[in-house]
Amino acid sequence: MNTAAANVVTYGSSAIVALQSGAALPSQFLTFMLGEDQYAVGILHIKEIIEYGSLATVPMMPACVRGVINLRGAVVPVMDLSARFERAPSVIGKRSCIVIVEVENGDGDGKQVLGMLVDAVNAVVEIAAGDIEAAPSFGTRIRPDFIAGIGKVNGKFVILLDIEHVLSSEEIVEMARGTVATHHN
Amino acid sequence: MNLDEALQTFITESRELLEEMENALLNVDIAGDQSEAINAIFRAAHTIKGSAGLFSLDHIVAFTHVVESLLDEVRDGRVVLNDEMIVLLLSCCDYLSGMTDALAAGRLDADPDTAPEGEMLLQQLRRHMAGGHAEEAQAADAPLAVHAEPGVERIDQERGDSDYWHISLRFGRGVLQNGMDPIAFLRYLAKLGKIVGIATVPDAMPPAEEMDAELCYLGFEIAFDSTADREAIAGVFEFVQDDCEIRIIPPHSKVSHYVDLIRALPEQAARLGEILVRCGSVTSHELEGALHQQSHPDNPQDEVVPQQLGSILVGAGSVPPVVVEAALAKQKQVSEQKAQESRSIRVDSDKLDRLIDLVGELIIAGARANMIGQHIQNTELQECTSTLSGLVEEVRDAALELRMVKIGATFNRFQRVVHDVARELGKDIGLIVDGEDSELDKTVVEKIGDPLMHLVRNAMDHGIEPGDVRVANGKPAKGMIKLNAFHESGSIVIEVSDDGGGLRKEKILAKAVERGLVDADRKLTDSEIYNLIFEAGFSTAEKITNLSGRGVGMDVVKRNITALRGSVDVSSKEGAGTTVTVRLPLTLAIIDGFLVQVGSSVFVIPLDMIEECIEYATEPGQDYCNLRGQVLPFVRLRELFRIDGAATRRESIVVLKLGNHRAGLAVDTLLGEFQTVIKPLSPMFSEVKCISGSTILGSGEVALILDVAALMQAVSGKGVVALAA
Repeated sequence: MNTAAANVVTYGSSAIVALQSGAALPSQFLTFMLGEDQYAVGILHIKEIIEYGSLATVPMMPACVRGVINLRGAVVPVMDLSARFERAPSVIGKRSCIVIVEVENGDGDGKQVLGMLVDAVNAVVEIAAGDIEAAPSFGTRIRPDFIAGIGKVNGKFVILLDIEHVLSSEEIVEMARGTVATHHN
Repeated sequence: MNLDEALQTFITESRELLEEMENALLNVDIAGDQSEAINAIFRAAHTIKGSAGLFSLDHIVAFTHVVESLLDEVRDGRVVLNDEMIVLLLSCCDYLSGMTDALAAGRLDADPDTAPEGEMLLQQLRRHMAGGHAEEAQAADAPLAVHAEPGVERIDQERGDSDYWHISLRFGRGVLQNGMDPIAFLRYLAKLGKIVGIATVPDAMPPAEEMDAELCYLGFEIAFDSTADREAIAGVFEFVQDDCEIRIIPPHSKVSHYVDLIRALPEQAARLGEILVRCGSVTSHELEGALHQQSHPDNPQDEVVPQQLGSILVGAGSVPPVVVEAALAKQKQVSEQKAQESRSIRVDSDKLDRLIDLVGELIIAGARANMIGQHIQNTELQECTSTLSGLVEEVRDAALELRMVKIGATFNRFQRVVHDVARELGKDIGLIVDGEDSELDKTVVEKIGDPLMHLVRNAMDHGIEPGDVRVANGKPAKGMIKLNAFHESGSIVIEVSDDGGGLRKEKILAKAVERGLVDADRKLTDSEIYNLIFEAGFSTAEKITNLSGRGVGMDVVKRNITALRGSVDVSSKEGAGTTVTVRLPLTLAIIDGFLVQVGSSVFVIPLDMIEECIEYATEPGQDYCNLRGQVLPFVRLRELFRIDGAATRRESIVVLKLGNHRAGLAVDTLLGEFQTVIKPLSPMFSEVKCISGSTILGSGEVALILDVAALMQAVSGKGVVALAA
């Protein structure tokens, strides 16, 4: 793979190159790490990947909403994917970064830009449609509705996330409502 | 000019005019003196007709024409405006709005679906006119023959002797040099019809020694009998239209057309009466008679003459006084209007929004420059940035002011609503509007219309009792709704009040308990009970009407207003009426904020909400302090927001004021004032009531803006929100 852009970022350089080349196909996925597990997201959802920087916490929100960041003048919420999968919140490390994605708003009125905090970004992989299997109804450690499918990469399984579900605003609003209520009682 | 653009202008203007017309119509029955309102209505109809003619929108012209004819009769006092006619004319307004909307949607011809409605309106209009004829048969003899117009077919109809096209020509000076011969045009014109009368206007002719024989100084006023249409006639002068002034008035035009002509002509100051004659408002026979009485010979340079001639014509009964009056009034009004027009320009609101966005970015960039200046401790740079931030602040205020509009237009829309709804309900209800000049941001104005509509309808339906009940209670039979607006500490307050029966506490409370909105054994203050009406699914009206009573109104109102960072409150006195108070921010874009820090988080408090900042002090063991002899309860932001870490040694208390309430907010550090550009937060955070938005600090960090009203409600634990939760 082309390494011309490798000096721009020191991690996941191949992913960045693939992103910049604009040759993304529907079957291309960005893989990243959460703890020990590898996940992937369809590349068409992804706008950019930024380093983890200063972040403002928003009070009274569930733990999976890490806070908000300033993305060149726009205020963008950042989700802690690990906390979203009901594990311990991510610990910020050297390879922590924020994947900026664009998802449809639940009520269908336009798109929303969100950030996903992940422990490390790996690469952009191509997965043929034949190598993708439907999610099993049980046996995964995250909620089945978060999974779009399971892909095979180099003989290993990668969970392909259904980010519309994972980053669903409504569900988070519901969770926040619970948090706010407990606050008052 | 691009025709599409011009058409857009026409649509916008027509909408404004229709709004004016509607307001004027609704004011007729309030004001005793009808003439002003009638003139306003007439002007609106007339202008729409005139402009529609320019775009060959014949269906609009035809319809407006009949409306105008009726109005003209009303104006001349031949028909008396009554309630029925006002309703009819209001329907006409609606119909015209419909046509305008269709036009905006790209439909240039009449919509067959609505045609029957238009036809019905036209018939009704004509019926009113016909009555006018019978009553004032004499007026039909007036030389103007204005009301004798049969209306729609202005071109193919049989015309009376005096009904000619009127063409006003002022050839450009260079027309001869350009190889054009004015006479040739007139000859060609004669091919289209018959030139009935022609008056040469030599007023521009200089004294003989200054005259240049190669220039054309002449103008012509022509009465022209033809079946050709305007386009064909205008086509005659196609070759010279660039440097000539050509005005064409179709047959049967209103006096005001002629007045417009008089005003527009270069000789306008002179010889009003004579031009009236030339316009065909009076016949040459009458002119001769009038001239006969005039002691001095006609002197075009003498400014007194036109007045004299005018008055002589009136005296001789040749011209009804109203014509001359109308001419004068029109002249005055038009010149005033012109002066106003030149002082204001239309700007696309998108452009203003873009400007505000840019100013927002400028403020953030400025704040950053300021911070760096302080950081590197360069005095010159600091001076520079402080001048800059002063200027930016002014630019911000000026830019925001551009978007400020008066609330009057929104309020006036309710005249119609109250009128219609009162009819529908069979109640006699009037509307008093106060504080129309209060200004607020356009975006707020746009969004406040619907909630206000709910409130007004609700007040009319539930608030105001039926007439007999009112009389029995010793109140005037006519109920009153009052809309009031005023500014108060950085917000605009809009009050919707009625003098109706007021809210019944027991009933509301019983209902709320029944619906499970509140515990039966809970003690509530009066205002808490009243505010229950804003809860979802609450409605106490026994009778569900068309307008309200389904319990969907008030909670929507509250939600909409809260979404605008506003608040809503209700107060009531049983038997005396109810007042709903809506409090809204003046602008949604940029505010003056005050930065405070708790732990590592920075928050912005709107500056208008802050009364003062005091040193942290507390009565032992309590969460209140002594503020100059008064008890000031306070809340620790760190606890409220569950921010980790211990308080700093030197905490401060920010004293917040909201309406009549006062509360303290304990924070770690005060950081000072900051111009806050409001960045909306993702809908994800909609449940965090205490945060209304976010902003970006000079350092590039994000700070959250506190919603003081929600905060106070949350901590007082008594507010409706807390009850629900």
